[in-house]
Amino acid sequence: MQGMSLIVKKISQIMAPSIFILGMYVVAHGHLTPGGGFAGGVLIAGCFTLLILAYGSSKERSLVFKEKASLIESGGIFLFLFIALLGLIQGTLFFVNIFSRSNPGVPGALFSSGIIPLCNIAIGVEVAAALFAIFITFAIMRFGEKL
Amino acid sequence: MIEYILAVVLFAIGLYGVIVKRNLIKIIIGLMIMEYAVNLFLALIGYRSGGAPPIVEVGKNQIFVDPLPQALVLTAIVIGLGTTALLVSFAVRIFEKYDTFDVRKIRKLRG
Repeated sequence: MQGMSLIVKKISQIMAPSIFILGMYVVAHGHLTPGGGFAGGVLIAGCFTLLILAYGSSKERSLVFKEKASLIESGGIFLFLFIALLGLIQGTLFFVNIFSRSNPGVPGALFSSGIIPLCNIAIGVEVAAALFAIFITFAIMRFGEKL
Repeated sequence: MIEYILAVVLFAIGLYGVIVKRNLIKIIIGLMIMEYAVNLFLALIGYRSGGAPPIVEVGKNQIFVDPLPQALVLTAIVIGLGTTALLVSFAVRIFEKYDTFDVRKIRKLRG
């Protein structure tokens, strides 16, 4: 897949960091504002998708991107499972908010509400990598590669 | 009431696309429109006139919209994304085999 014109490339180059920062903001403030892991992950994946569409990508590089996206997606799921298992490690139930005593939920405070922000970050990583993997798989299909 | 009729009209547009169109991509777009109409309907059910976003503090007496349909719609959007990706990958495979998106020409057995 080849890239687009110079105007599209330059505008994407200017816009992509802002979209990435907005996605990270939505993920980090998932327990305070509307949004959360999924919405922020979609924004982050959209940033990478925009760059690939504007600048193009060779077949070999797309295959490498797909491998890395699958790896990061699995890592996000593993992180989420590890956070859920912390309750069992501590001796209570699965998915118990183990930091709720030491770090209780304060309305409007970023560093509060125990493991919920950590879960949001894990979901954000997972969703961003998964959506990017879906996009890059369709991009590889255009090269006629059998997957 | 008029909002619910709007959601039904949007659903009817999607159904028209699925039934009448013969291009596979247009059928998938019709399915997506139907899905979004249902999502819109569910989000409208939870709406309260003059309601704030559902971020409330304990003890504050204020009107806010129902967060339950919003959580349901978020799950439905994720599932819709998965089904859309599956349908598009089917369409890509069909195009590879038949060189067309026309559903009338896909009936013939070729192999």
